Amino acid sequence: MKQICSDVLSKIDDLQTRYIAVIDAKDMEGWLSTFCQVAEASYVYTTAENLRANHAMALVMDDNYQRLQDRVTIVNKVWPGTYADYATRHFVQRTACRDMGAGKYEVESNFMVMTTPEETGRSTLFATGVYFDQVVVDKDQALFLSKKVVTDSSVVERFMAYPL
Amino acid sequence: MTNHAEIIATEKQDAKGANPPIIWPQKANLLPKEIFVRPDVFEEELARIFYGKEWLMIAHEAEIPNIGDFKTTQVGRVPLLITRDNDGEINVYYNACSHRGVQLETATSGNKLRFRCPYHSWLFNAKGDLIGCPNKPGDFPSDFDKSNYPLDRPRMAIVHGLILVTFNPETPPIEEYLEGYIDKIAQVFGGDGNLRLLGAQKVVFHANWKTFHDNDTYHAGLLHTAFQMLNWSGGSGHQTANARGHRSYVGEVTLPEEVNRLKDPSLIEFKGEASECSSASVRLFPISGMTRHLNTIGIRFANPISVDETEVHYTYFGRAEDDEEMIRHRVRQASNLLGPCGMVSMEDAAVFHRLHTAGTTPGNAVFLKGVTDDHGIPEEFQQSDEAANLPGWEHYRQTMGYPKEQS
Repeated sequence: MKQICSDVLSKIDDLQTRYIAVIDAKDMEGWLSTFCQVAEASYVYTTAENLRANHAMALVMDDNYQRLQDRVTIVNKVWPGTYADYATRHFVQRTACRDMGAGKYEVESNFMVMTTPEETGRSTLFATGVYFDQVVVDKDQALFLSKKVVTDSSVVERFMAYPL
Repeated sequence: MTNHAEIIATEKQDAKGANPPIIWPQKANLLPKEIFVRPDVFEEELARIFYGKEWLMIAHEAEIPNIGDFKTTQVGRVPLLITRDNDGEINVYYNACSHRGVQLETATSGNKLRFRCPYHSWLFNAKGDLIGCPNKPGDFPSDFDKSNYPLDRPRMAIVHGLILVTFNPETPPIEEYLEGYIDKIAQVFGGDGNLRLLGAQKVVFHANWKTFHDNDTYHAGLLHTAFQMLNWSGGSGHQTANARGHRSYVGEVTLPEEVNRLKDPSLIEFKGEASECSSASVRLFPISGMTRHLNTIGIRFANPISVDETEVHYTYFGRAEDDEEMIRHRVRQASNLLGPCGMVSMEDAAVFHRLHTAGTTPGNAVFLKGVTDDHGIPEEFQQSDEAANLPGWEHYRQTMGYPKEQS
């Protein structure tokens, strides 16, 4: 397998850590800024069960850049005040990286998300799973072309307002 | 030291330490909040309702379209196995080996025509027949006959592809049980039961099952900020409800001419004749329901896990005649519009939880909208009337055997 240089891996890891930092900060504009500004940019959240059964249904299907922009609007403008808020804490660990050529890489990472609902103040596990990402790396930085979140659990705990 | 709550609890208990009886308020528009939070009430509900004289929705045929497809699920705490056998017939079994009662299948879905119990290798086909049970001569009683040991089955019925079961021999026949609602189910499915499975969104609400059932589907125009912000208001609509606790809702949907909040308006686009653009839903007592909203067709299979947990599988379908473009549209719309992360429904869960959390406070929940006589059960309802839930609550009260408070 082709060796991937440490500079590329470093940029990819920087992108992942920036990603989890902005979502834990509920910074939706920051979240959007981790994606390439191209029409086909996408964020999909589904479950391992749906994937195994080859079902297209997802929990979130922001499969173009406009929908990514709409996600920012929904979280920042539509939903505030309608739900009991909660904090998240993400942890991510890269497990695989493949060079697809032309500056594009396929990256797999395990993730874990803890949640702390404001009404209980008690932290519990919200989700574990795998990020399947397509990352574009240029001389300055890395950005997601697509991010597919696949949770191990087939059942969502309560509801989800912020992207995983 | 005895705290205040313990004193109240002790005062309420009779000499045997039994749970205090539920006394239903005399007014028809009041619900005692304690029914939502008492574990003893939950146990009684399993016996009287979920294992009682009710039909429970457990699957749609389109979830197991091919020979050998199966699905497992639960009604209350009872595990079930649903198969499509090699004649294409649907079967529902208790998911337990007929020998020692080991749970037979653990996967939630899959494809197989033979089910092997891991304990003593008893083997069953998808028709539930015992086709193998390793034994040597003299192992079993001399009159042992495999044909006496098929998988046990609950009563089942299929209505427009919807599979229902009941554990009680006295439950009325399905045609009688669903009288007036069979055509409404077809209407939600878009004409008939010829559906194609797209997948599911599953969620566990930290709320009592009645909180989910009572508040799901009726409240759309009131709760959903998304509707208001998108200038998306309902047209005329009406609800029906009957004495068995079933209810239905049909409403016109008027989409805004210009969607200026969303950059991708396909989320609330309706593909089809404008005159067909409507919302329709049917909720069947005690817990499950189905909705058609824009181009989404969904069945909400729900099951009570405990007094304070309810699992709901939002299962989505296309029509059998859909082309790939329509399927794609339905998937994209349902994924982002509905379910536990959906634009118009995410806050449902938050309301369910808050209702449940505060259910331990004293007193009654009050129904007002559409209530004209607070001692009578209403028969006609407007689009978003709370009153349409009251016939179902009266059915619940009678099924649970709760007496009304004397004046």
